[in-house]
Amino acid sequence: MPLHRQLYEQIRRMVASGQLAPGTALPSIRELALTHTINPMTVSKVYARLETEGVLERNRGKPMTVAAQRRAQAPYSVRLASLDLPLENLVLAARQLELDADAVIEALREKWEKSDAAPIRGRARADKGV
Amino acid sequence: MQHPYVVARELTKAFDAKPVLHDVSFEVRPGDVIGVLGKNGAGKTTLLELVLGFTPASRGRVEVFGHESYRLPGAAKARVGFVPQQDELVNQLTAGDQLKLIRSFYATWDDALVARLIDVWDIELGERVKNMSVGQRQKLSILLALGHRPDLLILDEPVASLDPLARRHFLEQIVEIAADGNRSVVLSSHIVSDIERLANRIWILKDGRLHWQGDFDDLRDSVVRVHLRIAQPLRAQIPNALTVDLGRSHATAVVHGWSAELEAEIAELTGTTPEVEGLTLEDIFLAMHR
Repeated sequence: MPLHRQLYEQIRRMVASGQLAPGTALPSIRELALTHTINPMTVSKVYARLETEGVLERNRGKPMTVAAQRRAQAPYSVRLASLDLPLENLVLAARQLELDADAVIEALREKWEKSDAAPIRGRARADKGV
Repeated sequence: MQHPYVVARELTKAFDAKPVLHDVSFEVRPGDVIGVLGKNGAGKTTLLELVLGFTPASRGRVEVFGHESYRLPGAAKARVGFVPQQDELVNQLTAGDQLKLIRSFYATWDDALVARLIDVWDIELGERVKNMSVGQRQKLSILLALGHRPDLLILDEPVASLDPLARRHFLEQIVEIAADGNRSVVLSSHIVSDIERLANRIWILKDGRLHWQGDFDDLRDSVVRVHLRIAQPLRAQIPNALTVDLGRSHATAVVHGWSAELEAEIAELTGTTPEVEGLTLEDIFLAMHR
């Protein structure tokens, strides 16, 4: 997976799981670029995209922060689109195993129904991505 | 917009009538980190040496900071840093004397940066260059190129002999330069993942020509893998395909020049909607060389 996408997904997931609470300050572009040893422009583009999507907020002269009440603001289609990547991976894996789409969807439904009983948040936290 | 640091037009280089580079044109803009990729013998080192003015072009022209590179004035040369594939250190000197020698060529020198790197890289200043390991020599060579804080840093396979930790420190230095916003790096490396991390522009050399050049983002959008679900064997060729893998019920192809039009064309030819997957730089490079 391309690096910018990994970074994008990682931040999204951390915000969605509550690891990064609303109002939390994010590292500066330079800091994050150094931590991951990636081009600062890559970080800047990821931040800009997350800002457009309402996940992050830009603050004049201060670090970017996690936007408040994102969950309520993000439209259904945006939230659904954020699943693109895991879904793509699932489809790829299923195809490599030469599985049937209906069987995979059925398995997904079973997991879905089981997960109703368990807290989702704890599970998301165990999966830190990247 | 600032003037590009490097402008090359229709550059050709032949050694003994044997062409090594054909008709390449490119620019390096302030703030660019350019990743240069190519197989051995593709012309990477020759291209870098032309920019550095080590050798005259057979045809065409390359300007660095507004001057023809082969006749670059001293003031412009002082803005360039270079790490060669094979270091040009003086064997008889100690690391410390080698450092002093290079430092004496420049009006400005970042002593704090050099001291920091000497420390993290465990460079023994009293040791003679000839007794240093290949990795230590490479570190010293990089340090010498960074000391005067060049506006244009050119690196030809700089990390081949570095251990993972030293390589990480080196990569951090490139990120620092990139974060400046108006200094540029041209980095040739076989370690494609390093280029993937650092570069915002990519040059792919193939048989002495610039096979692809442009923004990394555009390259990623242009060369993609498509997955096709197929009910019957494909009768038509997949247009723009670099590689094709056919399975029983699906086909996978890496295509270049991806666009809505190409997607529609493939959909019509195969009777199915392609699913698109982004590729790593290494995948892209390999597909271009199959």
